[in-house]
Amino acid sequence: MSFAQSLIDNVVRIAEEKGAKKVSKVVVEIGKLLMLNPEQLKFCYEVVSKGTIAENSELELIEVKPIIKCSICGKEYDTPFAICDCGGVLTVEGGKDAVIKKIEMEI
Amino acid sequence: MHKIEADVQISLLEENRKYAGENREFLREHGVVSFNLMGATGSGKTMLIEKTADKIGEKYRIGAILGDVAGDDDFKRVKKHGVKAKMVNTGKECHLDAHFIHHAIEDFADVDVLFMENVGNLVCPVDFDLGEDYRIVMVSVTEGDDVIRKHPEIFRLADAIIINKISLADAVECDVDTMIRDAKRLNARAPIIKMDLKKEIGIEEWIEWFVDAVERAKKLKGV
Ligand SMILES: Nc1nc2c(ncn2[C@@H]2O[C@H](COP(=O)(O)OP(=O)(O)OP(=O)(O)O)[C@@H](O)[C@H]2O)c(=O)[nH]1
Ligand SMILES: [Mg+2]
Ligand SMILES: [Zn+2]
Ligand SMILES: [Zn+2]
Repeated sequence: MSFAQSLIDNVVRIAEEKGAKKVSKVVVEIGKLLMLNPEQLKFCYEVVSKGTIAENSELELIEVKPIIKCSICGKEYDTPFAICDCGGVLTVEGGKDAVIKKIEMEI
Repeated sequence: MHKIEADVQISLLEENRKYAGENREFLREHGVVSFNLMGATGSGKTMLIEKTADKIGEKYRIGAILGDVAGDDDFKRVKKHGVKAKMVNTGKECHLDAHFIHHAIEDFADVDVLFMENVGNLVCPVDFDLGEDYRIVMVSVTEGDDVIRKHPEIFRLADAIIINKISLADAVECDVDTMIRDAKRLNARAPIIKMDLKKEIGIEEWIEWFVDAVERAKKLKGV
């Protein structure tokens, strides 16, 4: 719920700054390693946007994958864990943020 | 009526990062070493604070911020062990965030060690930095031996992993070795401590890690 609230607060603030009457679409990038569940965020967004100028707006979520790589052999992996087959430590970059990228609105 | 688009770059975690940074700065300034204590509901988080206070309360003044969705049971319990405590009622949130801590932290400038007991849950607490020095993740054998595998992210980022209630393992048909293997696969740095707080197993090992962690952090803070 706190993500959805922060999302709607920011969207409404920007839309009002631009003098918008209505928000039609919001695009958000979601890091794959966040525990934040996309379906749940969509549901909560629908709830908290009720009664605001973003009511009924579309929420598009784009998944952002982390880069998971062995620090020794460079092999890449899809999900993070500790040690590569070669004994090297895996490094994990990104995939931990949630960022509003675009707001479409009507003026 | 016409349409416009605004390209923006606004992180939904920015506010939490800001408060976490301020918490970290406050704790550094006052030489307080802090632990974000996360874990499953009923895994033994509060009892770990009680036992730690009993063992080491003479050496360090201990504080605890207790996050809970309701009730003051944990608060009353740790007070009895000489812990300076404050409750944070998280309401409908199932995790602590840095803003909750920000409100509570001022009372803890005079402690040496601060535990922040998170809400019992292995999922969302991991997304929210509180400004802590160390993350401890606690589970007990009653959650089943697949509990670590099912929650990889929180164990991957832990600084210490505790498997509690091990004397009940046979009774609940939990294979502790499987849990340890899963934990090691996810995290090569963190010590994995087998514990039973009721039977006083693993407490020495915990205290040894804990004192070492406190002293290391104090040195970094220049205390
Ligand atoms: N048998 C056994 N029981 C334990 C052990 N450690 C804790 N308990 C019991 O487990 C219950 C939960 O312990 P707590 O310390 O309250 O656990 P918690 O993680 O703080 O729980 P919440 O704050 O409700 O999430 C209590 O009844 C404890 O007495 C243990 O090692 N063995
Ligand atoms: Mg508790
Ligand atoms: Zn490798
Ligand atoms: Zn939560």
